[in-house]
Parts: sequence; C-alpha cells; structure tokens
Amino acid sequence: MTNNIISKLEQMGCRVGQSLAERFTRDSPRFGSELDIIKFICKEFWVGTFKKQVDNLRTNHLGVYVILDSRFKLLTHMSAGEQYLESAPKYLAFTCGLVRGALASFGINSVVTAEVSTMPSCKFQISIPKT
Amino acid sequence: MARQGGRATDPRKVSQELFTLTYGALVAQLIKDYEQDDEVNKQLDKIGFLFFACRGYNIGVRLIEDFLARSGIGRCNDFRETADVIAKNGFRMFLGITPQVTNWSAAGDEFSLIMDANPLADFVELPDDHNQLNYSNILCGVIRGALESVQMAVDVRFVQDILKGDNQTEIRVKFIKRLEDALPAGEE
Amino acid sequence: MTIYNMYIFDRNGTCLFYQEWQRNKNSGMPQEEEFKLMYGLIFSIKSFISRMSPVDFYSNSKDGFTSFNTNYYKLHFFETPSGLKFVLNTSLNVDSLRDSLQYIYNSIYVEYVVKNPLCSLNSAIKSEIFKEKIDTYIRGLPAF
Repeated sequence: MTNNIISKLEQMGCRVGQSLAERFTRDSPRFGSELDIIKFICKEFWVGTFKKQVDNLRTNHLGVYVILDSRFKLLTHMSAGEQYLESAPKYLAFTCGLVRGALASFGINSVVTAEVSTMPSCKFQISIPKT
Repeated sequence: MARQGGRATDPRKVSQELFTLTYGALVAQLIKDYEQDDEVNKQLDKIGFLFFACRGYNIGVRLIEDFLARSGIGRCNDFRETADVIAKNGFRMFLGITPQVTNWSAAGDEFSLIMDANPLADFVELPDDHNQLNYSNILCGVIRGALESVQMAVDVRFVQDILKGDNQTEIRVKFIKRLEDALPAGEE
Repeated sequence: MTIYNMYIFDRNGTCLFYQEWQRNKNSGMPQEEEFKLMYGLIFSIKSFISRMSPVDFYSNSKDGFTSFNTNYYKLHFFETPSGLKFVLNTSLNVDSLRDSLQYIYNSIYVEYVVKNPLCSLNSAIKSEIFKEKIDTYIRGLPAF
C-alpha cells in the first residue's frame, strides 16, 4: 500500500517536473553537458521550487550525483531530528519525481532516490545509467 | 561552458506554475483512480474539506489558520463581511485573484463568487469525455472547511465553469447555520 | 517575574498542549480532570462576560476576556477567530502577554503544527519541534 502511494506520488512529480522544466527553459539555449543540466537543477530549478539553492553537489563522474539540501523545504516544518523519520519517504517521493521528470525533459533517463537520517536535511541521489 | 542570461526565471511565476501543475497532476491521478467524474468531484471536495479525517488533516482548516495568522483579521460581524473577506483577502492571499461577490439572495444568506481567471485551471482543457468534471472542486471543500473553523456551516458548489464552456466561473456559497463552541463536559 | 504554565485548547475543549515551567502547587486531580476544569473556567468566564456586558462587544471589539488577576497569579487569555484558546499563568507583576500569545499562534503553532501534515489539529500535539520552539520562546521572554 505505502509503496503504491509512493510510486503514484513519484509519477505525479515526474509529470509536473517535465512540464515545469520545459516551461522554464523555453526561451533559453540548449545545455552544453550533463553536468550543466545537473547544475541547472541545483540552482534555478531548486530556487524556483524551493526558494533556496542546494547546499552541496557531489559526483563520482560516472553518472551518480548526490544533492544535499540541509534544510529541505518540505521537512523543515516537520521535525528537527529523528521524529517522524519513518514518514519522510512519502514527503520526498514527489520531489524525486520532479527531478526525474525535469531530467527526462532534457533527454536524460535517471533514477532518483532520497535519503534522510536527520530531518530536515535530505540527500537526493541521481543515477544516470551509462549506455 | 558558462551560460549567462537566457535562463532568467521569475521565481514567483515558477511557484505559481508548480502549484497549477501539481494540482493538475492531482486531478489526473484522481481521474485514473476513480474514473467517474462525479466521484472525482466528490474526492476533490473531500480533499479540500476533510482529507485523512481520522488525523484531522483538512486543507481548508489548515489554510484558515495560516490566513488568520497572516492577515490578523478577526471575527466577521455578518455574512456579507465574510463574503468580502473570502474574496478580497482569502482568494487574494492564496490564489492571487479577487473574485467578484455578487448575486445575493433576498435573505442575504447566499452569494456567488465570480472568477474571470482561475489559476488552478491555467493550461487546462477538459477532454470531451469529462464534461461532468468540476475541475476546481477542491475550492468548494476549502471554503467549507475554512468557514467551519470560524463556526459557520455553509454549502458550496460550482454553478458555472469556463472550462465547461460557460462565460464565467461561478461558485455559489449558502449559509446554513452558526456553530457554537463545545460546552465543557458535564455542563448543560 | 515568573511564568508558571500554559494550556492550548481547541474549540472542542480538547487540550492540545500543556507545559509547566514553574508550578509549586498541583491541583490534586488527574491531569485530564484539570484540563476539563480549566476549559470549563474559560468557557464560563467568556459566557458570563458576554451576557453581563452593558455594551455589544462583539461589534465593538473583537476580544471579550483577556486576563484576570487573583492575589497570587495572573491568567492571560488569547483566542483566535477559529476558536483556539491559549492560556498562560504568570506571576502578578507581568504585563499583558497577548502579543506573545499571538506570536505563539502565528509563528509557532501555524508553522509547526498547521504546516506539518503529520500533526493532527484536534488531538494532543506530539511534535517535538513544536514543543522545543515553545519552550525556547517562553524561556526567552523578559517575563520568564
């Protein structure tokens, strides 16, 4: 049941992310590289949706990117610690979908997951399979 | 390659689009889950009014607290004042529009909110097989939930919708009764 | 100056939150009973005040009852149009704390209860961040 809810929310986010990214970049030049696209997600996209930039971006240069938001907007009202941790995935699925959808609109297939150990800090991992 | 200019995005516009698109995704998901338009209408109204009833999660009830805290508006003296506050303060704060308050019933217990623009329904066109759908029906639940919190029971429904080919979007609000504070246990 | 304790009630009389900072005397009854009694006290004062009022205060002023003093303590009261009731007991030398109660509503209750989808609005508040914010705020008041 919970998995079903999470996957529905993820799909809703994906639809929204796709349209949003298209509207955002309608009048702008194409991106140069994959990293440029990821940077766009961390800056303009994040600021537009969450009113702040991400706090850190790391990559292994093999298609895995980890975005850290140490005060993730959807969690700041919820907890400053471990309370409600078990409910966090439901409130992150939509955002994972949002990122996956935005990347898809630039032609990138990805898997996006979220991880929280202490709220409101959250890590989003983007994996782009290399073909 | 550094890329300047061209990607200037107005954050306010983005959050409005995020909101509108998210609402659209919600309606689309409900259509997938419930199929029948009248069932979707019912669900939308419920989400606005009484979502997760067991937990007391209710969008209208939550929005009114945010509204009262931010606006500092106190109790209304009568239903006309309530109508004005909904249109000029409530809709303004949450949707950025000010519907017209009109078509008062003779008894003064019923009015209409007329919207020229509806941000929830930007970019939306109803497919032919969903002509019974009240796309923005969540607004009914929200108004009902919000007013119940300030001790007013009302009935709210869509009577016209631009999405259905009407000339304007009209929500009808009817006063039913005042609700009283709960008596302390054991008192009559 | 001292702040003794605080109650928050919803409009059904459910006690959503209680905390004490300094309380030397207990009411000598189970907590549930005490909450009912406090809600009953507030309810009765409000209804007496509106019944005995020589002016129609609902149209003249939005607030009926704001505080009372006894010889030993002062009870501060603040109610929102949605019927949430905030009650704070302090020592007598404390000025009006209505602004503080308004702040607790605007900036703590709305932010950490209303905007937390996991918090119910009609039963005791379990959010730890809410409790922490209240405690920090009260301890930081000049009246504490």
